[in-house]
Amino acid sequence: MGSEGFYQEFEVFSKRTDTSSLQYQFSLLAPNRELALVMAQENFMRREPVADIWVVKRSDVRKMTPEEKQSLMRLDNKEYRTTKGYGYLKKKWRHYEQEMLDEKEILSWGGMKKSE
Amino acid sequence: MSGVISYQEWTEEQKYEQFIKRIEAGEKIEADDWMPEDYRLTLIKLISMHGISEIMGALPEKEWVPKAPSLKRKLGIMAKVQDEMGHGQLLLRVAEDLMKPLGKTREDIMQDLFSGRLKFHNVFHMEAPTWGDAGLIGWLVDGAAIITQTNMLNASYGPYARALKRICAEEVFHAQHGEAIIMALAEGTDEQRAMVQDAVNRWWEALLMFFGPGDATTTGTSKQDTTIKYKIRTKTNEELRQDFFTKYIPRVLSLGLTVPDETMQFDQQQNLWVYKQPDWNKFKDIIKNNGPKSKERLGLRQTAYDTNEWVRDALNTAN
Repeated sequence: MGSEGFYQEFEVFSKRTDTSSLQYQFSLLAPNRELALVMAQENFMRREPVADIWVVKRSDVRKMTPEEKQSLMRLDNKEYRTTKGYGYLKKKWRHYEQEMLDEKEILSWGGMKKSE
Repeated sequence: MSGVISYQEWTEEQKYEQFIKRIEAGEKIEADDWMPEDYRLTLIKLISMHGISEIMGALPEKEWVPKAPSLKRKLGIMAKVQDEMGHGQLLLRVAEDLMKPLGKTREDIMQDLFSGRLKFHNVFHMEAPTWGDAGLIGWLVDGAAIITQTNMLNASYGPYARALKRICAEEVFHAQHGEAIIMALAEGTDEQRAMVQDAVNRWWEALLMFFGPGDATTTGTSKQDTTIKYKIRTKTNEELRQDFFTKYIPRVLSLGLTVPDETMQFDQQQNLWVYKQPDWNKFKDIIKNNGPKSKERLGLRQTAYDTNEWVRDALNTAN
């Protein structure tokens, strides 16, 4: 058959806006990377806004086997790694008549000017 | 636990048990996961048929692109035709990944379509002679497709469920595009109203057939038990057909249109619609590519495939 090996598998990723994370879209078949990019735009970006598109040859992706995926299961004992494990501080700070600097508060500082 | 055995050493029965446990728990099966052979084969049959139907389904509508009554309508129907081809691309990818372990590719799908081994939906074998048909396809054929496809949004096979999520979102636009055409005609001149009524009459039987036979006694085979067992879908063909009636019959009637079945009525006691069965022998014949437009549309697809062969060859050599 003339088209044996014509199609290659590509995985498509895109970003909705400059600040959003790259998101997996779907896969497609194309004869090369350039056409894969054209196809990606035609296939997946007909309506939604898009700021960037990546196409990756599937054979270049090291995927996990089903068995490896099983090992990803987390034990439920990681509180010391998260703010959840330190929630009691809120009460403590209240005792000292101070507000707790929690995640919401800290991440809101980004827009602050230096002089403030 | 008494010693962990590697997954590779599991027996087929253990793998099957684990598989059923996973789908019962609502987990999604992915392309590289172990799956029972009949699950794989059922999915291949279902999804390659669905995918190729999207592509063949673009053909009756594309006939109306050059003849659309206004620029706005032309842009709308062009966008819809392009979406259908896009849906075909998505679904063929899902089918191809399932076929890969069997050594089959897109080339096999195309050849199976041309030889008649791979069937496409009965509705896309039918004629679309008027603009009323163009509207009706969007309104009721896509409406019927939305009913069957939303029923599989939670399918146990992850890639299919994800493809359907994208597809259903676009189908909503298609349905409204069709509604807009129908509404304009239904509120138009007597001639335009007659055009819509003719289209309803012409498509009625095909719409009933779209959901498939009630059970295997009608046509000899039915995969619906397997698809329900494996949580690919939840409702039977008949339940989906009833849902379609419940959603669409009141809307058809509200526009002053009728359905070409005097026996049609909602039976309060049984809580279901009573209707005249379509001719299921005719259905079998249509999907064997003996419908009014089957050969012409397959011919068109084959011609497009053949005349573009040089492009595939040229790019193939360049790789």
